[in-house]
Amino acid sequence: MNEELPAKELLARVGRHDLAALSELYDRLAPRVFGLITHILAFRDEAEEILQEVFLRLWRESKSLDHESISVAAWLIVTSREAALERLRTQHSSRLRPDTPREGGTDGNPRSAKPLVAAPFSSRAASKPPDPRTRAGRLGPVGPAIAKATVRIPPAWLPRPGEIELIGERLDLLHKTIEQLSKSQRQALELAVFGGLSEEEIAAELGEPLGKVRTGLRAAVTFVKHRRRAILGTWAADI
Amino acid sequence: MGCRHLEEVYELFLLGALSEQGSLDLRDHLARGCPRCLVRIREATESVYLLSLFSKPARPNRRVKAELLRRLHKK
Repeated sequence: MNEELPAKELLARVGRHDLAALSELYDRLAPRVFGLITHILAFRDEAEEILQEVFLRLWRESKSLDHESISVAAWLIVTSREAALERLRTQHSSRLRPDTPREGGTDGNPRSAKPLVAAPFSSRAASKPPDPRTRAGRLGPVGPAIAKATVRIPPAWLPRPGEIELIGERLDLLHKTIEQLSKSQRQALELAVFGGLSEEEIAAELGEPLGKVRTGLRAAVTFVKHRRRAILGTWAADI
Repeated sequence: MGCRHLEEVYELFLLGALSEQGSLDLRDHLARGCPRCLVRIREATESVYLLSLFSKPARPNRRVKAELLRRLHKK
């Protein structure tokens, strides 16, 4: 397999059920996708299951994805987030039922549970594993309620390959942007992005008034939005 | 219906952070094919993509890929 082959060409080949092309895409993109999934789900085996599901879905749906107008990296990231949050929601629903299984690691032992919800917005600099005794540490396996369905982003709304091709080299600008937010804004954003929570749920989780959370979250999102072009490298500016 | 007031909620809608009523209103508006909002919602998807990248890459076990390819090979 030619290493220089653009991802969009690989996507086109996957659409023709070329297993080698899928293998190549997996090698390039799975670490980023798996990083996101393990940021949402606490259990590694579940995260691996979702990773497989997402690539299987790519295999099934690639024929209908226009490789010229859809970035396969964006498709994988957005689809993974939706799938992992859906799993989180299922976990929450099952916890509401009596005799809920699965409180621990793969062997069912709570002590062997190995949370992977590491380095959220609010503690990335410290890069410490989450403390399961804290709310933030519990977010993955035993996070707060996510009652609503995940918003499914249609492929037509996804970025085009050329629009995000530089992002890999510019992630430091994204981190710099996030670090400029206040701690409470980062926490709220973290709960929205990696917890799938609504503004109301975030306010309840943080024990803050809804108005404060709403204002902070919207300001944070607007801040990121205004720096998007610079981060993506399509607009030259300092951050 | 004007849509300037939606300016600050596209990303929240995509993230699933908007209230149920807010989401319904935006869906309803988008369903009418507002060209301005369709451009904005695509831009908002870029932001959601960016925010989702704020997670450290993690290498899955090699067994996962082997199993995936095995499953696909059978299909």
